[in-house]
Amino acid sequence: MSLDVEVKDGVDQETVDAVKELSGTYKYGWNTDIEMEYAPKGVNTDIVKLISEKNEEPEWMTEWRLQAFERWEKMTEPEWAMVSYPKIDFQDQYYYARPKSMVEKPKSLDEVDPKLLATYEKLGIPLKEQALLAGVEAPEEERKVAVDAVFDSVSVGTTFKDELAKAGVIFCSISEAIREHPELVKKYLGSVVPVSDNYYATLNSAVFSDGSFVYVPPGVRCPMELSTYFRINAENTGQFERTLIIADKGSYVSYLEGCTAPQRDTAQLHAAVVEIVIEEDAEVKYSTVQNWYPGDEDGKGGIYNFVTKRADCRGDRAKVMWTQVETGSAVTWKYPSCILRGNDTQGEFYSIAIANNMQQADTGTKMVHLGKNTKSRIVSKGISAGKAQNTYRGLVSMHPKAKNSRNYTQCDSLLIGDKCGAHTVPYIEVKNNSSRVEHEATTSKVDDEQLFYCRQRGMDEEEAVALVVNGFCKEVLQALPMEFAMEAQALVAISLEGSVG
Amino acid sequence: MLEIKNLHVKLEDEDKQILKGVDLSLEAGKVHAIMGPNGSGKSTLSYVLSGKDGYEVTEGSAHLQGEDVLDMEPEERAAAGLFLAFQYPVEIPGVGNMTFLRTAVNAQRKARGEEELSAGDFLKVVREKAKTLKIDAEMLKRPVNVGFSGGEKKRNEILQMAMLEPKMCILDETDSGLDVDAMKLVSEGVNALRDAGRTFLVITHYQRLLDHIKPDVVHIMANGRIVKTGGPELALEVEQNGYADILAEEVA
Amino acid sequence: MGLPDIKTNLTDARLAAQPVPQSGAWLAAARDDALARLRAMGLPTKRDEYWKYTDPSTLTEAVAQSADVFDAADEAPLYDGIDRLKLVFVDGVFDVDASDDMAPEGVTIERLADAGAADIHWAKDLYGVLEAKGQSPVERPLAALNSATATDGVLIHVTGTPSKPISLIYRHADATSDATLHHVIKVDAGAEVTVLENGPAAARFNKCMEVDVADTGVFHHIRAQGRDHERRAVTHIFGRLGKESVFKSFTMTANGVLTRNEVVLELTGDDAQASVAGACMGDGAFHHDDTVFITHDAVNCESRQVFKKVLRNGAVGVFQGKILVQPDAQKTDGYQISQSLLLDDDSQFLAKPELEIYADDVACSHGSTSGAINEEALFYLRSRGVEKGTAEDLLVLSFLAEAIEEIESDDISEDILARLEAWLMRRRG
Repeated sequence: MSLDVEVKDGVDQETVDAVKELSGTYKYGWNTDIEMEYAPKGVNTDIVKLISEKNEEPEWMTEWRLQAFERWEKMTEPEWAMVSYPKIDFQDQYYYARPKSMVEKPKSLDEVDPKLLATYEKLGIPLKEQALLAGVEAPEEERKVAVDAVFDSVSVGTTFKDELAKAGVIFCSISEAIREHPELVKKYLGSVVPVSDNYYATLNSAVFSDGSFVYVPPGVRCPMELSTYFRINAENTGQFERTLIIADKGSYVSYLEGCTAPQRDTAQLHAAVVEIVIEEDAEVKYSTVQNWYPGDEDGKGGIYNFVTKRADCRGDRAKVMWTQVETGSAVTWKYPSCILRGNDTQGEFYSIAIANNMQQADTGTKMVHLGKNTKSRIVSKGISAGKAQNTYRGLVSMHPKAKNSRNYTQCDSLLIGDKCGAHTVPYIEVKNNSSRVEHEATTSKVDDEQLFYCRQRGMDEEEAVALVVNGFCKEVLQALPMEFAMEAQALVAISLEGSVG
Repeated sequence: MLEIKNLHVKLEDEDKQILKGVDLSLEAGKVHAIMGPNGSGKSTLSYVLSGKDGYEVTEGSAHLQGEDVLDMEPEERAAAGLFLAFQYPVEIPGVGNMTFLRTAVNAQRKARGEEELSAGDFLKVVREKAKTLKIDAEMLKRPVNVGFSGGEKKRNEILQMAMLEPKMCILDETDSGLDVDAMKLVSEGVNALRDAGRTFLVITHYQRLLDHIKPDVVHIMANGRIVKTGGPELALEVEQNGYADILAEEVA
Repeated sequence: MGLPDIKTNLTDARLAAQPVPQSGAWLAAARDDALARLRAMGLPTKRDEYWKYTDPSTLTEAVAQSADVFDAADEAPLYDGIDRLKLVFVDGVFDVDASDDMAPEGVTIERLADAGAADIHWAKDLYGVLEAKGQSPVERPLAALNSATATDGVLIHVTGTPSKPISLIYRHADATSDATLHHVIKVDAGAEVTVLENGPAAARFNKCMEVDVADTGVFHHIRAQGRDHERRAVTHIFGRLGKESVFKSFTMTANGVLTRNEVVLELTGDDAQASVAGACMGDGAFHHDDTVFITHDAVNCESRQVFKKVLRNGAVGVFQGKILVQPDAQKTDGYQISQSLLLDDDSQFLAKPELEIYADDVACSHGSTSGAINEEALFYLRSRGVEKGTAEDLLVLSFLAEAIEEIESDDISEDILARLEAWLMRRRG
């Protein structure tokens, strides 16, 4: 194995070796050997119809998809992001893959293929839920997290549904929601991310196979954290999931998303859409720990992650908070955004993006202030190591009617090694004078003095880097729910293991 | 000099009443002190008198030498002779201290129909007054309050007061953030300005400032009202026993 | 990949109205190259990302919109008290009679129209060369148009330290004038020069300035763009900085319906220092765009971008600034600040402050803010008796101060300040 890392003064061989080892640190690279059912490769109207059929969708949904597909065919792939990757052959992908055992929908946990359950167990998804699927409730003191587990193109199962239903909360796969709650889906699907929004979102609208659906009725504080766990397992298969979250007036929900994929030599496509509707006085927290397979040190394989996430604060005083820890994917193209439509609405975006080896991340947010007295806050921490390129791209827009609004943006980039790049591309558009917009950005390298200080106190170099980087990210880590904070912190350390240079 | 009657003030943005009927009568040539626990409304009183935005007078009046000040713009109040030494003097990057002073002095002179000071005359007066406050030429050149230490900021406030020669001076916790030497310096500056035609309202938490600036009258403020008025001995009493007794008395 | 028809047509129409002039061998070759560049890129349209915030249509269209000449009789002339070498252009044509003798010590100055007739000239290594380099990674077709079609300008070779600044004065006399000027400035090792510019120049003005500062050379540039309300201008400065050289450019802009100032610098020698600053006051029909691109390609260089805009009555301010740090440009110190003060609700500030960094041992930062006047400071001033209008003026000047401080010469910065004060006074009426 050769890696042309220039050894700088003061960096020992051990560190360089550790950098080389890095590609081996992806913990979730194994795959599940399971019998799958595929739709033919490629995308066309037949495939779109087939996906719709597999999901037993009503006609209006099939039509919706077909219209999206028609649009998509006329669109071209965007090129503005600072990422480069071989041209994707959209016809050389599977758009639908489900475990054979899922053809007949399991009615309870007992019917779910043990191999699938074992997969999630191995991923560390709390297994008590499996029992709970069967209706056994957890002891009171346990913190509960309801999970919708998506395996390639289908939802394997959703836990705690009954308990959530008692509170009036609907949490199920989107395919089930289309069948069981068509009035809600019809009303909200595509209302935040329109079918024509962008190339990948349009494709998703045509071919999404599953995903999660959440509806929190007025005045309800969701009794537990909800989460979706996405796993891409099949080879040459794109995952196109769709998430729709509706927080009705005065409600609250915290939502967690996790993702992993096996280590494979060929790149795989992931193009998801997340839509969040937030009505008056409601609040949604959406946290992601994205840990897709990033490819190896030469940039072979990995997930191409093109995601459209948007929250629409429709009602007055609605609040949304996006928190993301992006450590995976070969290519990340993702801008969770906030439309601050109602008066006194608030949007927050906290992000840690770590790119190592040949990873490329182009991520950020859009804060669109439309209502009066709206507030937004952006804290972005980008860390580049190896030969990675890490870009923050964002928009803060104050419309003429968004009087007395505020934005504060802090974008910090940290460079580890001299072969990587860190970039900041903010767009700031201010169209009224009672609003105040402040943007600050810095780029620097890991502080040698801080490292030295830590090492002098007895830490080894890796510990020191992890500590300093975790300190650099602290503001964002603190914004994560407890369930994720620990995992994220560990992930930050793993992603950067030994990358001092 | 300054007559405050039944002054009620609330915050403009919130439904929160801060002053709940303040009555104060400040005679010419006297030094009045206001003491009181945190949140009693002392600073609000100083801001309302000087015309800061964000407060709404719901009832009552304040007259400076017979003129209704509450109707005036902040600069008109200043021209009428009202001066507030800020608890937290504002930093204005890019504006030289000297330019600031000269603009202020001449604006007030103009408003009073007096002739503007020439650059030479102005310089002479500033240098002289700055010297007694130990403000050096360097400090005069720097932007207003930018990079000033706490003590320097407060000395700068007193220099402005000396230059503007107001009739009614309000000192809002001028002693906060000052060490003993700086407090002495500031107090001397204030004492030098004591005059039969000038009134002081000294807002403070502590008796120690009043050791240097001896008050004629001491008021205790609590919960948006003046709850007790007395001589200098009242301040000593507070110093020894705190506010609890006085407040208890008030409740009783 | 062919050029979209719209661009081809736009470019053809413009070149038909503004043909490439005849020149001697060296300049003809440079113009041919520039023309090829222009044809390959085509003139910009507002759909181009780089023109996202400024509509270039009135800068690209074949015939310039007319602009009334503003009667500036009541204004004190800028740089009046400063001893300088005056070179006057009227509607883009060099005015020999109004200009001073062009042979001061330490510098040679030639008119482009004269030098261009020669077969060979020192300027051939620079004319259109720095511009061509500046076309990547971002295309600047209006600069290529300039190199291809400029009709006048000066070639300044600084060999020593001239005793006084060179002052380029651009008078505007004809309401329909459309001027294209191209200057080349070569500052030799150890030489030092100050170049002043002022005046509206023409109804439409396209100016390009290529500046090569050799090792330890020093270049100061102070520019005032103002007066004529209806004039439109696009300007480019392409600078190359050698080792330990200094490049400082400051621009004050007031008035003008459209101004796009691009500054493209490349720091190629170690320990070079660059500063690009601007103070702009916009009122009413005013669109001002500062587009700056600084590339660090050497070790231990420092660059500063300081831009301040005061806007009211629907004025629009744009800032697109970029610091690009190449992989070997270690120990780069890059600073960028863009701020706007919006004096009313109709005005707009649009900014894209970018960092693109490929070296790790760097300290780069940028900040951008937009908002109204600081109420705390306003109250403080008013509580000292300063009338509201005056207090606002003072705060406006204080807001602009950081940009003005970038000017090296005290005499000139005082002059600029006086001009800004006068502008404020006039506005207040």
